[in-house]
Amino acid sequence: MLGLAQEGHPLTGTWTGDWGPSATQRNHVTIVMSWDGSNVTGTINPGPDSVPIASVFVDVTNWTVRIEADAKDGHISAEGRLEDIASPHRKLAGSWRQGNAKGDFRITRD
Amino acid sequence: MKNPHMTMSRSLCAVSAVMLALFVATAPVFSQPPFSATYDSSRQVKLQGPVTRIDWVNPHAFIFIDVRDATGTVTNWAVEVGNPLELERDGWKRSAIKIGDVAAVEGVPAREKRQAFAKSVTVGGKRLFAPPARRATVARQPTPKWPDGQVRLGPPPGKRGYWGPANAKGLVESTAANVPMTDDGLLINLSDADKVAPFKPWARALYELRQRNLLKGDPLSRCIPPGGPRQFLVPNGFQFVEQRDLGRILVLLGGGDRNWRIIFTDGRAQTPPAELVPTYYGSSVGKWQGETLVVDSVGYNEKFWLTNGGLPHTEALHLTERFSRPDLNTLKYEVTVDDPQTYTRPWTGGWTSQWVPDQDVQEYFCEENAESTFIR
Repeated sequence: MLGLAQEGHPLTGTWTGDWGPSATQRNHVTIVMSWDGSNVTGTINPGPDSVPIASVFVDVTNWTVRIEADAKDGHISAEGRLEDIASPHRKLAGSWRQGNAKGDFRITRD
Repeated sequence: MKNPHMTMSRSLCAVSAVMLALFVATAPVFSQPPFSATYDSSRQVKLQGPVTRIDWVNPHAFIFIDVRDATGTVTNWAVEVGNPLELERDGWKRSAIKIGDVAAVEGVPAREKRQAFAKSVTVGGKRLFAPPARRATVARQPTPKWPDGQVRLGPPPGKRGYWGPANAKGLVESTAANVPMTDDGLLINLSDADKVAPFKPWARALYELRQRNLLKGDPLSRCIPPGGPRQFLVPNGFQFVEQRDLGRILVLLGGGDRNWRIIFTDGRAQTPPAELVPTYYGSSVGKWQGETLVVDSVGYNEKFWLTNGGLPHTEALHLTERFSRPDLNTLKYEVTVDDPQTYTRPWTGGWTSQWVPDQDVQEYFCEENAESTFIR
């Protein structure tokens, strides 16, 4: 396994991947998260069209994660489970809702 | 709640249980990667064959033997025989065994590779690499001091020596009762996790996950430096070089690819963490309080485990270390861990290290053992 792991809070870092309603309709997504000791905060797609994350809930008993945010085109709710937590390139995958759109997402920590 | 590793062993026969108990008691101080992740101590293996290669490298010496099975197929096994520094201290040299010698090995097999940790190696009826029945005890000698009376952390004038590994297996809050664990920090009872440190929930869950995974993914197994207190837990030892005229103490580490760390003692103020580039060993300033060196460190990255066993931390980590030397042979180490993002309150643990006289820290590069073991 190559790469330098981040061994602190498992969500801290920059995550990239995509979401979409089908295997062929995908949207690139970057999520930057950090743990401040009380909450996980962050941004979806940092840059001119960034969306501040409203809340992140982590259930550490099963490492499920729910991310909530309000984008211009509707509320974002992403629910997934952390996989391969020991890896520098751990993954977060699950369901993604944005406005009226539904799909799945899969992001990997850079 | 038993650790799954230990639970598995309990289901085996009584003989195996006894062997496991003996084995856990005599396993190496630290293995790389973690012993529990590498070896399955619930099983045993017997091997015999000619020696094809000898890797007498710190911290793990290996012999390689060709083993022929009942069908005549020959496979090459790597057999870990111990730490060469300890073996040499016990009187064993690399020349104790030669290529071509037919060795009989009893040991514990690795989980995934043709590798074993030897409990006994016999050649021509003679048992090799066994420790002496009783090791010599060192007489208590006074703490060496500088002419002005300050404690010396290094050797007495004109002498050599370094500090050996800690007498602890991991860092545990000093108020906790005995917390049994293997030499690489794997808890015998997972339910003891709450005694180890006052974890925040995410940190407790991550620590338990690492424990359940038998410490797989340990950064040290990828040759990542052992930052924080773990630098004093590795088996290779360490050395202080006190440069009093420069107002600093160098800590030369035998492990972690012979890393070094600077403790400034020139009276400078600690740099605010926000102004520091996060590193493995942080920014350290120290001052003597009586006969104790008190070191304040911040500026750590999150790329290492705080100690054996997988204690997590964040960049908010602030360590206060206290070093004292009550006699020539004893170094007391106490560390207060203050990381409000990981632990609910500051907590303190520590251990002692023993002086290794008349020797120097030996060369060690992590990648060398990687060549012996990982790439097989």
